[in-house]
Amino acid sequence: MNEEERKVLSIRFVVVSLIFLALAGIEGILMRFRLMNTLVEFFDEKHFYSMMTAHPFVGVYGWAYMAVMGAFYFLVPHILKKEIYSKKAAYVSFWLMLVGLIILWSTTFLTHYAPLYTLYWPIPVAYEIIGWNLYSILTFGLGVALILGGVLVFFGNMFATIFLPPRSTDGGSPSPWYVVKELLITAFNLDKIRARISKMPQYTSKAFNYPVFVVAVFRGCVDTTLNAFVIGGVGILLIIFAIGNLIPTLSIPYTIVDPLIYKNVFWWGLDLIADGNVLIFTAGTWYLLVPLLLNRTLYGENVVRTVILADLVVSLFVWNHHMLADTPQPLFLQIQGQLFTWGELITMGLTMFAVLATIWFARPVKYTMPLKFILASITGYAVGGLAGIIQANYASNRFFHNTQWVIGIHGHIQLLVGLSSTLFAAIYALFPLLTGRSLNEKLGNIHLLLWSIGGLIMGLSMGMAGTLGMLRRTLYPMGLGPFEPYMIVATLGALMMATAFIAFIVNILKTIKLTNLLKILF
Amino acid sequence: MAPQLFIELVYFIVISIVIGFIVIFYILTQRGKSSKADPDNESVPKKGMEKGEKRWLIFLFIVVVVGNILMLSPLLPSSRYVFWLDEEPKMTITIEVRNYEFVFPENPITIPAGVPVEFIVISHDLVYGFGVFNKDGLMIFQMQVVPKPYLNSIVWVFTEPGYYDIRSTEYSGPKHPYLYFPNTIRVVGG
Repeated sequence: MNEEERKVLSIRFVVVSLIFLALAGIEGILMRFRLMNTLVEFFDEKHFYSMMTAHPFVGVYGWAYMAVMGAFYFLVPHILKKEIYSKKAAYVSFWLMLVGLIILWSTTFLTHYAPLYTLYWPIPVAYEIIGWNLYSILTFGLGVALILGGVLVFFGNMFATIFLPPRSTDGGSPSPWYVVKELLITAFNLDKIRARISKMPQYTSKAFNYPVFVVAVFRGCVDTTLNAFVIGGVGILLIIFAIGNLIPTLSIPYTIVDPLIYKNVFWWGLDLIADGNVLIFTAGTWYLLVPLLLNRTLYGENVVRTVILADLVVSLFVWNHHMLADTPQPLFLQIQGQLFTWGELITMGLTMFAVLATIWFARPVKYTMPLKFILASITGYAVGGLAGIIQANYASNRFFHNTQWVIGIHGHIQLLVGLSSTLFAAIYALFPLLTGRSLNEKLGNIHLLLWSIGGLIMGLSMGMAGTLGMLRRTLYPMGLGPFEPYMIVATLGALMMATAFIAFIVNILKTIKLTNLLKILF
Repeated sequence: MAPQLFIELVYFIVISIVIGFIVIFYILTQRGKSSKADPDNESVPKKGMEKGEKRWLIFLFIVVVVGNILMLSPLLPSSRYVFWLDEEPKMTITIEVRNYEFVFPENPITIPAGVPVEFIVISHDLVYGFGVFNKDGLMIFQMQVVPKPYLNSIVWVFTEPGYYDIRSTEYSGPKHPYLYFPNTIRVVGG
């Protein structure tokens, strides 16, 4: 795959990811109005919850993952000066993601299947109690499995691109186990540990042979690959269950799965998105873009590599902060979850410090659009991350769990102002490389301000309603009562973000005409 | 003041400082060159930590230690009743849930203020939630209801007399919003 082909592939990923972001945004705004008990005649509870099921899948896998994939398919080979290991696999990952997301979204839209993204056992399969259609369980499971299959193909391709020599034409191809071995050794610094044990002086670990951005990519990919196995596994479980119950002689009872063990495995896997995709990939993108934009080396580069490793290790032990309200869960696991989650304050705090110090020592700084978005992203991570640390304590979780605080301040501010601003920064930075033109700065500023201020307004007002007792995942058919003013303000914030997104799309279409874009895509 | 409102107040003060810092940082970094040399803009990156980085790490570490001590201390009622309560529960209230129905032992459940009470909630089918709210809508406490074979239990001490509402705090299907039971708990005395 040559550079031109990679550019086209990246543009395809980014265009599709933006379409999914628009779709997730429309769903978000519609749900917001429905939550305020308007549009009641247009959609009932089943429809509302099916939308709530699709919304995070479309937002996370459709927008965040596909944008990251688009950026990494271009950046990783560009930085390593290598080709993508497999061109075929790159296209396969694109189509698996796209088809999987379309199947999942259509299932929820057409059948109103609504297990929510949490998929707490036995809700996704309790068809006799809740009234799901067995075919909708089957197609939903298929959609999930395809999406996560696409994710696995992508990460496999990334690992092979990073760790393998370019494909030789003589037919010799190293085994997948070689890649897995190299990955584990390099990601966890196992070679350094071995050198310490055998007292080898002055040994530099393999991870130091790679640029810091690539280190963040393969360490983040460890988390997201494990996540793909777990969530993809749930998709396969749903397929097996649906087929098992469509065949009358087979009939599988949902009691064969233990709900608490399932929940532990599920959250262990799901939270790895938060660490792999949301934290480590973001850190890697900052480490790449900030020094490049300022023409400086990254402040404390060696420390930063260790921080990424620490984040990887910490991320494997934080899932319990999702289960602090589950009283059958052993208490030592709850406390362990709390302590490790606080560890993320240290790793993220050091990451932000390195980035801000790099900017500080580059004074006077001319803030370009990507740099401005990175600053907005740091703000989003600080505001959303601190809320996350607060709710992730055994004691405070007793009144924060499942409230609007969790999804508003921690979830949405971290994902929209934090992660999405980093993705926008990457798009603004890559746009000239991919298309040969730069985006308009005035429209860019409108996008930046409306997006980040709107996101903060939306998330903080949701959070304030949460502190007063407003739950997430709940409609209030008898009226919102004291929460109503907060929801009105949150809607205004959401509309500001929608305006920001429109400004961004106008900017893209003004810079590169629609016909030119279509020419590139097809 | 309810503990969550106090925590929210502290949080808003901290994030105001953070947002203010970022704005000032943005303004300052556009201005003239610092007199200090960049300690890290060298061809070979330093192996150890910079002084500023070390101080920041120590600060973060102190925040982590103090934060955990505070959150596990008896300051918050939820940790007080789990880690620091010597008394055994004076009353046990068992609530069974099946097919979107909450079966209460009596309605309203009458509880004396100031004594530890244990709630046991058993689900025979789906995942539910069990949350207790005061009449202003403020959440007093809640827990997840993991279905059988698990028993979900929590000990609480009510300090304010009056009526309380119970609401399922976890999604269990599209009928979830209707799992709301006003005035189901009556706390007396105190």
